[in-house]
Amino acid sequence: MTKKDLIDQRLVKEAEQMVMRTHTRRHFIKESAMGLGALAMGSLLGGCGSKKKAAHSIAFDPAHPLLPKAPAFFGKAKSVIFLHMAGAPSQLELFDYKPELSKMDGQDCPPSFLEGKQFAFITGVPKMLGPQAAFARHGQSGAWVSEHLPHLSQVVDEVSFLKAVTTDQFNHAPAQLLVHTGSPRLGRPSIGSWVTYGLGTENQNLPGFVVLTSGGSFPDAGKSVWGSGFLPSVYQGVQCRSEGDPVLFIKDPDGMSRDLRKASIEAVNKANMQEYQDYNDPEILSRISQYEMAYRMQITAPDVMNINDEPQYIHEMYGTKPGKACFANNVLLARKLVEKGVRFVQLFDWGWDAHGDNPSNALNIGIINKYRSVDKPVTALLMDLKQRGLLDETLVVWAGEFGRTPMMENRNGAQNPFKGRDHHTEAFTIWMAGGGIKKGYTHGETDEIGYSAVSGKVDAFDIQATILNQLGFDHEQFTYPYQGRPFRLTDVGGKVIQEIIA
Amino acid sequence: MLALVDFIGRFHPVWVHLPIGILLMACLFQLFAKRYPLLKPAIPVLLFWGAITAIASCITGYLLSLSGDYDQALVTQHQWMGIATAAVSLIFYGLNRLSLTGRYTRLGAVVILILIMITGHLGGSLTHGADYLTAGINEAGTAQEMKPIPNIQEAVLYTDVVQPVLQRKCYSCHGSSKQKGKLRLDAEAQILKGGKDGKAIVSGKPDESALIKRLLLPLNDDDHMPPKEKPQLTPNEVAVLSWWISTGNSFTKKVKELPQPDKIKPVLAALQSGSSGEIAKKTELPEEEVGPADEGTLNKLKEAGIIAVPVSNETNYLSVSFVTAGSRAQELVKLLEPLKKQIVWLKLEDSNITDEGLAVIAKFTHLTRLQLANTKITDAGLAQLRSLQQLQVLNLVGTGITEKGLASLKELKSLRALYLYKTGVGTAAWARLKQSFPKTVLDSGGYTVPTLPTDTALVTADNKK
Repeated sequence: MTKKDLIDQRLVKEAEQMVMRTHTRRHFIKESAMGLGALAMGSLLGGCGSKKKAAHSIAFDPAHPLLPKAPAFFGKAKSVIFLHMAGAPSQLELFDYKPELSKMDGQDCPPSFLEGKQFAFITGVPKMLGPQAAFARHGQSGAWVSEHLPHLSQVVDEVSFLKAVTTDQFNHAPAQLLVHTGSPRLGRPSIGSWVTYGLGTENQNLPGFVVLTSGGSFPDAGKSVWGSGFLPSVYQGVQCRSEGDPVLFIKDPDGMSRDLRKASIEAVNKANMQEYQDYNDPEILSRISQYEMAYRMQITAPDVMNINDEPQYIHEMYGTKPGKACFANNVLLARKLVEKGVRFVQLFDWGWDAHGDNPSNALNIGIINKYRSVDKPVTALLMDLKQRGLLDETLVVWAGEFGRTPMMENRNGAQNPFKGRDHHTEAFTIWMAGGGIKKGYTHGETDEIGYSAVSGKVDAFDIQATILNQLGFDHEQFTYPYQGRPFRLTDVGGKVIQEIIA
Repeated sequence: MLALVDFIGRFHPVWVHLPIGILLMACLFQLFAKRYPLLKPAIPVLLFWGAITAIASCITGYLLSLSGDYDQALVTQHQWMGIATAAVSLIFYGLNRLSLTGRYTRLGAVVILILIMITGHLGGSLTHGADYLTAGINEAGTAQEMKPIPNIQEAVLYTDVVQPVLQRKCYSCHGSSKQKGKLRLDAEAQILKGGKDGKAIVSGKPDESALIKRLLLPLNDDDHMPPKEKPQLTPNEVAVLSWWISTGNSFTKKVKELPQPDKIKPVLAALQSGSSGEIAKKTELPEEEVGPADEGTLNKLKEAGIIAVPVSNETNYLSVSFVTAGSRAQELVKLLEPLKKQIVWLKLEDSNITDEGLAVIAKFTHLTRLQLANTKITDAGLAQLRSLQQLQVLNLVGTGITEKGLASLKELKSLRALYLYKTGVGTAAWARLKQSFPKTVLDSGGYTVPTLPTDTALVTADNKK
């Protein structure tokens, strides 16, 4: 017997003893009595099951939870890059041009906009605030884009704008949860988890759902926006760092050779397998596969996640800052990951909350720096995906969790010291590109001052339904059984936005 | 109240089977009563319940007829035959109880049998359409596609082109046997009259005509016509209907008498030639169906680390990726041979595939997307791909391919996108290539995003914009 076998044996034995320690006489009697009943029950339940065959059932293989699977129908998009501007960018300074609003600048807000409304900070009667940017039409599609996005305005003919997006949550955390999990409360799986659950991922050496953050802070809703909720935990987003090691502790510690690492993982897996045979909990199989993937990732991840070997002109195109954690680096990394077969990449960039209570979040100071930090990389991403032939099959979504008020914020009734806007739920702009979405199109309209949606109104569920549709899923059929009922991402809402589908 | 009436009425198609079954049994018992006297006592009981359920059927049937969705003439016939069935069986029951039937018992049974058959047939015609029984025999006459018209310009637009479309796709619910939403499309006056929701067509304005608007709604919309599960109109058929309305929906004019905008010309040409003539709308997958992929081969691929999954649950076509097996692609690509019919997407980027491997790939005749970026293939190897007539997207980014190699792909008629970023194709060759591939989007890549001074300048409170 080799030394390795010996270690293995010892580990398995240890695990067995742990189990036995918790196994009391009471357990034994209970199991003996319940066992027969459970057997009978099992056959009874199986016998009278009248379960309607779902239109699309997903074969969940706990031992290989991430193997690629076919979608329900043919989907044009194979992967998704979701760029979330956490804090909610202002549609009125970027895409939703409202000349009428500048005429009202400085006037008291008409009471009709305030009666019966609730805002996060605005109290009393705020002043109106005109657009803090010059606008122009761009491209053949004639899309309105402000001077703050000089690069994106050059590629509007690749993009479909949704200008009348609404939400019912005016605080960051619930609104972000709604966008990503379909519920403003904690506990639901995020869209990336749903997608990796439904489609698996092509590259078995990398996670299927990767999350990258920038802006110096996590999104307000925390890690729940990439959580797996009630789906098997293997589908939760894997957060990687864009600075230093992509994943913490990815290198073997000093003195631990690759062989020893392999041996120890094999031993742990053996013990886990034993555990699985006793308890039949599929989460244990998931854990085994996670250990194996982690081992493979130690080799592949540092390679894929290293943007330094990209040529200089690509770095210039994205405007990266090598060695630092920044949005541009994350965007370039996102392209590399999608290229290597990662299914869903979610980017969060924090710092868009333009209240104007301090210079860093003033519309005419700090927020301008935010515009500049994303404009070039996002434009580069679209063009780079395009020239690599990836834009056809990669859906890019740019969104915040809500919009900003046409009124200037007056926190506690007093005018804020800098120019800023409060959270706004009734209208904001997002855009999508690639993955079978129409090029150079604008859907939806807001009223003269951009307060509320007039036509083409959509909400988070509609966007989720559309994303799933592009990947080949009917959001109404794509469900997961939990607590006795099938759950779906879009809950009871959602309508695919056919208008923006090419 | 109306809703309740409607609800009860809708039980009619189910309920009618009770009297049919019970009365049928009564009649059969009666016919065999002589030979098996044991059956006799059951006959009055059966007749009684048959008559009662028949009366209930009459009532539910009447309630259903109030909806007005059916051909009134046919409904009247069905109604009176139904009432007759109920009445005759009730009378027969009475006579039976009083033992007055005497030697006419058998005759009574036969009468009831005939009544049931006639009523049943009429009812079937109402729900399934009058031509339901013979539809199978007349199949040739109800082809699903447009038939060629020898001289399209001389044809009368309505009778020769529009009416056949309506007949194929609309009459079954909006025709003589059924008038869903009180709309009939099988006669001039009825078309103009419209239905429950108003006019079906606004002369000269297809965009405002409910008939066209509903055709164009998304398939999942509840108001979309025809309903999701029914055969849909082809784009050409919609184009014809919409042109007919835009030119004033004449019922008599010939095609040549009407203005023909450029949009309609290819559709008319297609009608003339008889080719299915859909405006070349490429689907992502080949038209023909293929059988399932060989399980053994799939398992072999799985072991080798090659990803092969159906592109969707609705088809056997496969998407194959070498994303983690790229370094052994050259030796492994041969494993794919048994799947040469199934593979439609093949990803070999960053792999060690060479011209030799392309010889294998050239056999995958259903291939629609081929990704060969960053490989060592050459012009000579590329020429082998001439056989891939279904190929739509070819990615050659980062390869040494030049104009010469691409020339050999000119005959690929389905090719719609060719990615040529970082290849050996020189700028001088570009104009010539565009001529050789008029229908293909050629992407040269090399896009730049210039660095503006503002990109890196930092705005601060003291240094406002």
